[in-house]
Amino acid sequence: MKTLSSAVLGFGFFLLSMCTPVFAHHGFAVEFDQNNPLTLSGVVTKMEFENPHIYFYVDVKGKDGKVTNWAFEGGPPNVIYRRGWRKDTLKPGDVVTVKGFRAKDGSHLGACSTVTLADGRQMDAGSGGVSQNSYGAGAADGKK
Amino acid sequence: MKNDFRASLVCTAIMLVVSPFLFSCGGRGASGNPQAAAPPPDLNGIWSAPFTPDISKTLGHQPPFTEYGAARFAKEDEIDDPLTKCLPIGPARGIQAGIMPFQIVETPSVFTILFENQHTFRIIHTDGRSHPKDADPTWFGDSIGKWEGDTLVVDTVGLDDRTWLDTAGHEHSDQLHLLERFQKMDNDNIKWTVTFEDPKYFTEPWSITLPIKRQNTEIMSYSCEENEKDRAHLRRTKK
Repeated sequence: MKTLSSAVLGFGFFLLSMCTPVFAHHGFAVEFDQNNPLTLSGVVTKMEFENPHIYFYVDVKGKDGKVTNWAFEGGPPNVIYRRGWRKDTLKPGDVVTVKGFRAKDGSHLGACSTVTLADGRQMDAGSGGVSQNSYGAGAADGKK
Repeated sequence: MKNDFRASLVCTAIMLVVSPFLFSCGGRGASGNPQAAAPPPDLNGIWSAPFTPDISKTLGHQPPFTEYGAARFAKEDEIDDPLTKCLPIGPARGIQAGIMPFQIVETPSVFTILFENQHTFRIIHTDGRSHPKDADPTWFGDSIGKWEGDTLVVDTVGLDDRTWLDTAGHEHSDQLHLLERFQKMDNDNIKWTVTFEDPKYFTEPWSITLPIKRQNTEIMSYSCEENEKDRAHLRRTKK
């Protein structure tokens, strides 16, 4: 019974974590464009599990064969640690698919909502879960 | 002379009879006093209130701005949020920081709030002192608190006008006066009501209430400057 209760509580926390907007040191709308969602696949080159946001970098090969190194920002490390992330969740060489939103300045930078790993696990990057506009929805609670 | 001696005896007898009652009615403080006040509620632990990026959504409308306050709010942009510069979050906004929890450490003389956000803290004096006169404004102001039954009533003045009340850009002046009520509902729930009074920004005091819930976690590390890379990418959200 205790195990069942723990499982129910754990699932509840998981659901909650999937839709909780992230508080960080800046609003979403001041850096990212919720009208410019992106989905990119590539190979992880670096992981920075540091404050005030995690950053990781992915080599993405374009249709022309040209490789571009994208930077992705997630939530604060302490926040996503509580959601199951660890500093080695993403390692150089990992093949991933990232969903998120592009930076307004047009650079190769995005806010990461979710990362899907090669083994199929989908990780909420602290920016709102599987719904790509969850990060944006959190920001939309603020001033536009 | 004889009458004086008798009067003296009578007075002494009266004092001997009355004095035990006089000394037993002094209230708390005497050792073994059965009438000593009950200890205040224990609020020690890790807590969190809902993330409140736009305080007007909680209020249901915009605060009662003065003309100056309305003009400031119309102009303010998220890019100017002091948190983007890694400046302190301020006393009330720290409570509203959502999934970055805070820890309450309670002693008889101070009620301390340790924010995970930026690893900042508030010290609320509960030793009966008053606010200092003409104190210079500080990021978290001067806070004094007193217990009213199950509620800690906190009065804060002397606040630096560079903090914001939320992400949406609600500001305040150094005349801001905060009145907070931390009411213990049960072991895992606090009802927090904060009243904002600032004659420069608001025509009258206004309040919001948020539920504070106990968290099963620990306060973790945070350093805003450790790997700050966003500032170069920020863009104004208003034309």
